[in-house]
Order: sequence, then structure tokens, then C-alpha cells
Amino acid sequence: MKWIKIRLERVYEAPIWLQIFVAIFSLAVALMIAAFIFLAHGIDPVSAYAKIFHDSFLTEHGIEFSIVKLIPLLLCSLGLIVAFKANVWNIGAEGQLLMGSVAATWIALYGMKGYPSWLIIPSMYLLGFLAGALWAFIPAILKAKFEVNEIIATLMMNYIAMKIVEFLIYGPWRGATTWRYPITDEFPIEARLPLIPGTSIHWPTLLISLALVPLVYLLLKETKIGYEINVYGLNPEAARYAGINKTKVLAFVMIISGGLAGLAGVGEVAGIHHRLRYPWTISCGYGYTAIITAWLARLNPLVLLPVTFFFGGLLVGGDVIRIDLQLPISVVYLFNGLILLSLVSSELILRYRIKVTLVGGAGR
Amino acid sequence: MASPKGALFTALVAIICIIAGLGGGWFIAWNQARGEVEALRAQVAELSKRLAAVEAKPPEVAPAEKIKAAWIYVGPVEDYGWTYGHDRGRRYVAEVFKDWLETYAVPKVSGAECLQVIDKLVAEGYKVIFATSFDFMDATYKAAEKYPDVIFFHCSGYLRRQNMGTYFAEFYQLYYLNGLIAGALTKTGHIGYVAAHPTPEVIRHINAFALGVKEVNPEAKVYVLWIHAWYDPTKARELAETLINKYSCDVLAFTEDTPTVVEVCQEYYEKGRPVYAFAHYSPMLKYGPDVCVSGQLVHWEVIYADILMKIKLGIYTNTNLENVDYWWMLREGAVELGCDYGVPINPKFIPVLKNIIVEKEIMLPNGTVVKNPSVYDLVFIRLAQMMEESPTFDPFTGPIYDQQGNLRVPPGERLGHDALWTMDWFVDNVVGEIPKGGGA
Repeated sequence: MKWIKIRLERVYEAPIWLQIFVAIFSLAVALMIAAFIFLAHGIDPVSAYAKIFHDSFLTEHGIEFSIVKLIPLLLCSLGLIVAFKANVWNIGAEGQLLMGSVAATWIALYGMKGYPSWLIIPSMYLLGFLAGALWAFIPAILKAKFEVNEIIATLMMNYIAMKIVEFLIYGPWRGATTWRYPITDEFPIEARLPLIPGTSIHWPTLLISLALVPLVYLLLKETKIGYEINVYGLNPEAARYAGINKTKVLAFVMIISGGLAGLAGVGEVAGIHHRLRYPWTISCGYGYTAIITAWLARLNPLVLLPVTFFFGGLLVGGDVIRIDLQLPISVVYLFNGLILLSLVSSELILRYRIKVTLVGGAGR
Repeated sequence: MASPKGALFTALVAIICIIAGLGGGWFIAWNQARGEVEALRAQVAELSKRLAAVEAKPPEVAPAEKIKAAWIYVGPVEDYGWTYGHDRGRRYVAEVFKDWLETYAVPKVSGAECLQVIDKLVAEGYKVIFATSFDFMDATYKAAEKYPDVIFFHCSGYLRRQNMGTYFAEFYQLYYLNGLIAGALTKTGHIGYVAAHPTPEVIRHINAFALGVKEVNPEAKVYVLWIHAWYDPTKARELAETLINKYSCDVLAFTEDTPTVVEVCQEYYEKGRPVYAFAHYSPMLKYGPDVCVSGQLVHWEVIYADILMKIKLGIYTNTNLENVDYWWMLREGAVELGCDYGVPINPKFIPVLKNIIVEKEIMLPNGTVVKNPSVYDLVFIRLAQMMEESPTFDPFTGPIYDQQGNLRVPPGERLGHDALWTMDWFVDNVVGEIPKGGGA
């Protein structure tokens, strides 16, 4: 008697063509499901998709804002990739980003008031990096020395960072020219990042984030510390036997991770808002979205670039749905949720192979 | 870092930051210099344009076409508070002006998304844009610079431009009237206030409320607790119950975007412990038929109708809005006293309020003197005074002392718009602190 046996087999590295094919396939599935939502609202899905795609990726406005959103997502995700490679779950990019904005605000309004811009702007990036790094370093040390779970610690640090921002805008940093509203004064012109003319893209931060893509790739692939990160991430016990210093790895990945998120925070306040304001308006959940983009890129910095651009486009595409197509915002949430869900579920196809075998049975 | 490559990496990051920063700085300096040249060039161009205009014929009048107006909301339309009120106003003007007005609303926009939403709206041909959250101020201003042909109106802010006006429907007169009623109804002498964020607006409302309380009940105190959010029904419930149980308050006022506090009071009433409350922004009588005494209701449609009418008639254009600031109250009809539209005081409470006498003399503008009016009469006398063409009464008339006993408003003087707009102190019968930090 013969049995058909179906089982899932773990695959470690799916070939690249399969990865691309599966990504496109899962997008198509999501779009097919979402088509019903559009049909239910009496809108032809094909022309709706054409409009969303066209406006998000082919118009000046779409590309502009996709890039504006790409900048913080790319910086945060790059940092998170370094941490996730070491199997360190940094959920705190959101708070690290905010601390970067706090540092930049301090330089712009207090620390370096009256200095020329060529001094202020590099200092903002450096101090922003340090502030984000410090915010991530605390949970790193707690984990290294006291085995405190970094997921909880980094998450909680987000709330503390938000409260610090709120404290500053309601308290000591409340603007003198803002009619007692809870925002700081505007940054002086010297402390504002230059924009690509006619757009909202602050190009120095874009440049930094783009330059960091190959750097992080090389860091993880070619350096000793990169190797240690990988080994530690795969098996901390083995790493210990190999003489890899756990505290050093933890501290390094969290400093890079937090620092890059801090740079994103500098970009947001110095490039876009020009003042410190309600924390959510600054961070917009980039620190959390960056977790998703990092994993969708399979922790590969080179893949991350198109992924974050796509995500930026997705965020802009929501405006097409709710303004041009005049559909309720819940459709935006559904649309984005469906795309995410199917991309994440496609992991199953990539990580596992369905194996069907005929088993010669000895009878039962 | 211990490893040389790690150190190299850190150094590289630092170098990139510095290079990008230097580049940015140089770019700004270069841009400033270029900006001056550009300004001169623009001036020359403008002058030659004017010269040409003098020689040319007057432009033909464009055929009448529909005005497209868009609203940007921070919350969902269903919040039954702030956004609901604005959308009610939008629906009103859309109906009344339907011959020449086309409207659209974009709800749930964050301050960070505002600019890109405005870009889209302008691309879709909207010529008038109402941005209805303080958080939209910077983005709206930027958009106004970017689109000089579009008319912008921002609610609750202070930045104006030739094509950007501001507007606000102010409640403090009504809070004062509610205070009169609260002071009369309290038995414990403890009145509670569940407050949103410590902004000048909320502080001003608490003070007006407390001044009303003081006028009928000089011994009573107003206890303030902060939610630190505009919308947080859970926390509002928690603080309302704390005020009732721990501070023995039996009348509550609030600033929060849901009817939660009214609901809590109704629950306590049904448990045999009456606690009274006031509606905020929207009619809330149905949430507390036995406890909702009065309240403050908004009529944004009055402001929207005025603005849109003036745009239609060409009184407001994209070049003359830099001093247009609506600060509308009772006189203009932008706000209404009541727990429901047309119900200034819940009929259940009218007999009680008619029985409570306030010992004072009030001189009416026509010369008659009212001696020892009932609280009910006092409320309507004050209401009438504040609705006059130039109000003969204002709650913020001195002498007013703050919590520390300092004389804040000298006898006979009235606080002006700017002092009300930046208020950061409590009057002397308020118990509670204005937090210096925002964290809860």
C-alpha cells in the first residue's frame, strides 16, 4: 500500500529568481483581493491601480514624497538590520529617532545659536547620532549585564522618549513666539537643512542614508565585527566558545542601530518641521514601519533600498485613494494591510518547500 | 570599537555626516546670496509687468464657476467632538451654497501628512482649503507660500499670510455661564474639571468657569485634573471618577472630545448619587438626560458661511487675508449655550435654578436695576449682555487674583485678546497646578 506524504521542508536560502517571483506574485494576490473593495465602491480597480501606481511612482509629487518618507525609513531600517542580524530585537527605533530630534533641536535653538550653518549642520548629525546611540545603549547594557529582555526595554524607552519630547515642548523649550502653544520656536535659517529646490527633500540626509547602504552591507559581509555579529546572531553559545565578547557585540549593534535612527530624527526636525512638536507628528511610526521594511528586505541592505522606496510610495498612494478616488480612509488601511499581509505570508513559500513523496507502506 | 574595521566604519559614518553637513551649509550660504539676486530680478519683473498692465486693456470677467473647497480634519468625523463639529459646519455650507460650492473632506490627517495632502487637493483643483487642527499650522503656511493662488484658512493658529487667514469659535463666555450654574448646584462646594492639554485655550476656559462659580458661590473650589490628551475616553472616565470619589465633587465640567464625562455622571445619578455635567462642543443631553444641565455648543457653519460668502463676493482674495482673524463668540452666533441645540438649560433644572437667589444688583444697559436675581435670571441677563453689539459684560473683568494672590486684572479693566490667548495662570478659586511638562 502506498501513501502520499506531504510535508513542509525548511529551505535556508531560496534562489533569487524565486524571491523576486514570489514577491511579485504575492503583490498580485493582494491586488486581486483588494479589487473587490474597489468594486464594492463602484470603482474600476484596474484604472484605480493605474492611478495609484502612476501618482505614487511616476509623478513629481509622488516621487518627491516617496523619497521624503524613504529617508527616515531607510536610516532606521539600516540600523535595525545590524541589530536583527545579531538576533537583538531593537523595537526602539521610534524613541531613538525622537532623541535624535531632541539633540538637533538643542543645537539649533540653544547649543550653537548664532554659529554658521557649516558648523551647525554637521554638529546636529553628530549629536543626533550620539543621542540615538545613547538611547539604544541603555537597553544594550541592561541586556548584556542583567539579561533584561531588550524587546521590552527598547519598547518602553520609546514611551520615555515621547514623554521627554512632550515635557520639553510643554515646559522649558516652549517657544517664546508661539503664543504659548506647545511647540518650540522655529529653527534659525542656519539650522535648516537645504532642500532640493522646489521639493521637500532634504538632500544631506538623503545622501547620508544612500551612502550608508553599501557601508552597512560591507560592515556585515566583510568586517570582523560583522562576522562576530552574524555568529552571535545565529548561535550565542557558539559565539561564546569562539571567544566573541557578548557585551561588545550588543553594544556595537545597538549603538549603530540607535545612532542611525537618531540621524533620521535630525533629518525630520531640521529638514521638515524646523521645530520640535508633538512627538507623533515627528516620528509618524517610522521606527515601527522600519521593522517591517527591514524584514521584508530579508535583512539585506541592498534589497532594502527598493523596499523602502516602495513603502514610501505605498504611504503616498493612500492619498490617491482618499483624495482622488474619494474613498474613506479605512480603504487605505485595508489596502496597505492586504499588501503587507500577503508579502509577509509569502515568507512561508520561500522558507519552506512543499515535498510530496510516495511512501511505500508496509501496511497497517 | 575594538576591531579596526569597526572603528573605520564609525569614522566613515562620522566623515559622511561632516561632508553632508558642510555641503548643506555651503548650499544654504550660496542660496542666500542667490536669493538676493533673485529678489532684485523679481522686483524688476514685477515693475515691468505693472507697466504692461497699465498699457493693456482691463481683463475680461471670467464666467461664474463653482468654488471647490476642501476641509482637512485631524480626527475621524465620528468623534462627536472637534472634527464632528467642523464636518457639521461643512455639510451646512455645502447644502446652503450648493449652487456654487463643491466641498470635500479628508479626515484623519496627521500634522506630518498635511503638506502632501494639500498638494494633492490643489492638484485636484481645490481653491479654498480649511485646515482644522493646530498641528497643521506650519504645513498650511508652507503650502500658502507654495500656492499663492489658493486661499487657505487655518483654525486655531496664529500664522497668517496674504492668502492665509485664521479662525476660531471661542467658548469662554459659555464656560463662565456654566460656572454660574455649577456654583449654584453644588452642595459639597467642590466642583471638578477634567481638562485636556494645558494650553492657553483650556486654561482660559477653566478660569472663566471658575469665575462664574465664584460669582454665585465664593466659597466653592474648582478642582482640576489633566488628561494630557484631546481624545482619551478611558482616562477621562478615570479622572471623572477620581474627582467624584476622592475630591467629593458633585458637578463636573470638562474639555475632552467625547461625551464620556456626561455618561459617568449619568451612571452615578442612576446609582443614587447625583453629579451634574455640561455638554462640550456637541449636544450631549441624550447621554445624560438627568445630569446634563447646560453646556457649550459650536456653530462652525456660521464662520464657514461668512468666509465662503466673502470669497464668492470677492471681498476675500488671495492677497488680502494677512489680517483676517476670526475670533467669534456669542455675539456673532458662532457658539451657543446649551445641552442641545435650542435647549440652553435642561428643563429639569429650571425650577431649582429659579429658586436659588444671588445677592447682588445688576445694572442693565437700559438703566433698569435688577435686585437679587435668581441664578436662572442671572444666566440669561449675562447671556444677553454678552450678545450685545459691544458686550456690556465680560467674565475677565477685574479685580481678578491668581492662585498666589497676585492681582492679575486691576478693578474695572478687561483682559484683551492677547492676554487671553497666552493665559498661563489660574484664578484664585482653582485648586490644581498647570503642569510645566506634558507627561502624564
